[in-house]
Amino acid sequence: MMNLAALVHNLRCSLLHIESRLLQAAGLDRQLAPALAVNGPGLLPQLPPPVEDEMDEQQSLEQPPGILDGILWMAVPKKRRTIEINRTRRRADAKLLKVKNNIEPCPECGHLKQKHILCGFCYAKVCRETSLIRQQINAMEGGPLRAPTTETVVLYDGETPNEQDKDKRIVERGRKRPAWFSQ
Amino acid sequence: MRLTLHMLISHGRVARKMGLNPQSRINMLRNILTGLVRHERIETVRARADEVRFYAEKLIDYAKKGDTDEKAMKMATFWLTEKDLVPKLFKVLAPRFETHTNGYTRMARIPNRENLDRAKMAVLEYKGNPFPPLYPVKKENQLTLINQLLKGYKEEKARQMLN
Repeated sequence: MMNLAALVHNLRCSLLHIESRLLQAAGLDRQLAPALAVNGPGLLPQLPPPVEDEMDEQQSLEQPPGILDGILWMAVPKKRRTIEINRTRRRADAKLLKVKNNIEPCPECGHLKQKHILCGFCYAKVCRETSLIRQQINAMEGGPLRAPTTETVVLYDGETPNEQDKDKRIVERGRKRPAWFSQ
Repeated sequence: MRLTLHMLISHGRVARKMGLNPQSRINMLRNILTGLVRHERIETVRARADEVRFYAEKLIDYAKKGDTDEKAMKMATFWLTEKDLVPKLFKVLAPRFETHTNGYTRMARIPNRENLDRAKMAVLEYKGNPFPPLYPVKKENQLTLINQLLKGYKEEKARQMLN
């Protein structure tokens, strides 16, 4: 009878041992360990450590600052900004849109323009005509870096060169002269 | 270098900084000036047009000295990167501005660029170019009512003076 009890006890022990080994292998045997371990100064104030040797004190004084040290000294708003204060900041005179009073209609085409800036429509018209003239000039020159050493004059349909335009290079534009491009 | 207050504050300094450094600024202005001499009307950013204006007028002043002048030829060859424009400068632009003493260029402001940067743009041209004018020429219409009435009044006054 004694042997039987001892035998059962031994069996149970070995079974427990096997179970713990299996749990260890599976990684499910969390022993009593803390959930979060943080490296840094203690969260609670502590008494100064007991008197140690001088060498230990010097070593323990100069430790590198912990990661959490900087967070405790950051600038942070103390109170919520009220809507009145927010409104006065957002609607300050410097942040409002300024009204322009220098806009007027162009006397030629009627589009709006600023007083000190050319009319966009009229300038686009001039740009289109100059690009067509330049295309004609490029066709006449035939290639890059062939600037002539004479002046240029633009003639439209049915126009003959004047006396002062005699020795100028003539650029023909195959259309009627526009009203806004007078000679 | 010595970090002085002079370096940190720029009150009253009128010289513009462009590009990476002064050499880059001169190179950039040289390119724009070459384009202006070739095409006689270009559009760029307002600050660059303003800077190039000074150099464009100085270049014409040098060109007026004639192409036999050593200094003038050196200046022209330095400032014009495309060498076929050097004869154009001396034979076309210099005679064109013989009677003028200053004011060979005209700079006009245009609406901001259409890109995302909405840069302030300007158009710079040499006066006397063959292209259509930027500012419309005001022509008086003799057939409007007021002009006809004024014409009649002037004729009547002339008749009264004769009598």
